[in-house]
Amino acid sequence: MKKVLTVDDDDDIRKVVSKLVEKTGYKAIEAKNGIEGMGKIKEDKPDLIILDVLMPKESGVRMYHELKTDESLKDIPVIMLSAIPKKSFLRSQKVLDEFAGQSVPEPEAYIEKPEEPKELIELMKKILG
Amino acid sequence: MNNKTKILIVDDDVDTVELLTKRFHAEGYHTSEAYDGEQALQQVEEYQPDVILLDIMMPKIDGYEVCKRLKGSEDTKRIPIIMLTAKGKIPDKVKGLGIGADDYIAKPFDYRELSQRVRYWTAVKIEVEERLREIKHLEHELIQSERLAAVGQTVASLAHYVKNILFGLKGGVYLVDEALKENDTDSLKDGWDLVESNMGRISGLVLDLLEYSKERKPEYEKCFPNEIADDVCKLTQESAKEYGIEIIKDFDPSMGEAVIDPKGIHRCLLNLVSNAIDACIYDSNEEKKWVVQVRTLLEDDGAVRFEVSDNGCGMDEEVKKKLFTSFFTTKEGRGTGLGLLNTQKIVQEHGGTITVNSQPGEGSTFTIRLPYRDVATQGVAEKESHQG
Repeated sequence: MKKVLTVDDDDDIRKVVSKLVEKTGYKAIEAKNGIEGMGKIKEDKPDLIILDVLMPKESGVRMYHELKTDESLKDIPVIMLSAIPKKSFLRSQKVLDEFAGQSVPEPEAYIEKPEEPKELIELMKKILG
Repeated sequence: MNNKTKILIVDDDVDTVELLTKRFHAEGYHTSEAYDGEQALQQVEEYQPDVILLDIMMPKIDGYEVCKRLKGSEDTKRIPIIMLTAKGKIPDKVKGLGIGADDYIAKPFDYRELSQRVRYWTAVKIEVEERLREIKHLEHELIQSERLAAVGQTVASLAHYVKNILFGLKGGVYLVDEALKENDTDSLKDGWDLVESNMGRISGLVLDLLEYSKERKPEYEKCFPNEIADDVCKLTQESAKEYGIEIIKDFDPSMGEAVIDPKGIHRCLLNLVSNAIDACIYDSNEEKKWVVQVRTLLEDDGAVRFEVSDNGCGMDEEVKKKLFTSFFTTKEGRGTGLGLLNTQKIVQEHGGTITVNSQPGEGSTFTIRLPYRDVATQGVAEKESHQG
């Protein structure tokens, strides 16, 4: 069964997304912040990551960049799910690109909350097949 | 260079350690030494080296294990390790690098080569630390701009909070719809739970808004301030523990009964302690041992003082200025921005004061001071007279 990791500091959002994941027929894994998220990725090797932007400890900004610059992990598709606009997120990644001297691709999809849950389900199906 | 680079030399061979120590001192480095793996781990903690030279074959814990432990820990994984050993064969080399050693040099080695590698790895470490700092700074800026400046802090934060609730509600409703279609009672329950939990958040928000808008007289009662503080600590203990935050109680034993509005003050303290916990959760300095301290103090004039301190993220002037402004929140998606405002309101209705002291990166202290109120004249009788 394909595995989908949700990284979000909001308990309710994690619960909603995990339920939608299970409903779509995948296994749901959860993490509360970037540090926990990176740990789960290495441990569980998810097939898709759904990532929030603003979280305490390590944010999605840093986690996304870390993920996409890691040779062994960069091919895992990511759906960003946040109330922060896509534009702001992409800007932050550009700046990180300059620090790292390498540019990361845009996420597979970016959902601005509150999107319809159906949208998220269709995206998951499209990406995971 | 006023900060000398610190090298930790780990080798069970006393002669090697002595020789290397002399050479590195001559080059202006600071060094420390360990003669086995156990000592090495202890030294890393105490000495905080910039680079580690690590022999493989050692008594007690060998170099491989030391390396594995250091690289596996968040605190020490960025210290470069150069493996140093008489074993120069390829499989060992691979093993050394495979467990996370940064470099490898075989004995007998050329001192100049070793010195060069030390210089290289020191530079790498400085670079990495610099970048990490920049990233933290950048995140901070992003959060600030999105939260505060860009859209006008008040409405934006409330909207953000509502967006999260809305997404939760939509998710719940979707699950309920699907469950009804498929006659699946299990998901029906899941969906309904989500709807309920998010309705709860809306109720909380509305209650906060109402509390803020309504005129309310304190309901004075004889009660024990230490008991109120103790109950608040109990209520918050669990969530604090989950994030590795310790709650410390420091109650004045001379504090007896006092005449205050226990429900109102309970609310105030609960709000301050939850804020203090959040300040620790949002602190990006992970080397800290987070502590929230709840103090009570009976002042000489009979006034009751409560203090809630944390060593979390602290606040800058900008945030401090906006603290008691409606809808202002720094909590991503989780705050209504009304908690502190309501706390201030309750305290002021008591004729008391609330003050704050805070340093960015070091923590905050909130102090509530409630003036003495006489039991006989303004005690329970007053509570009665206010009813109706």
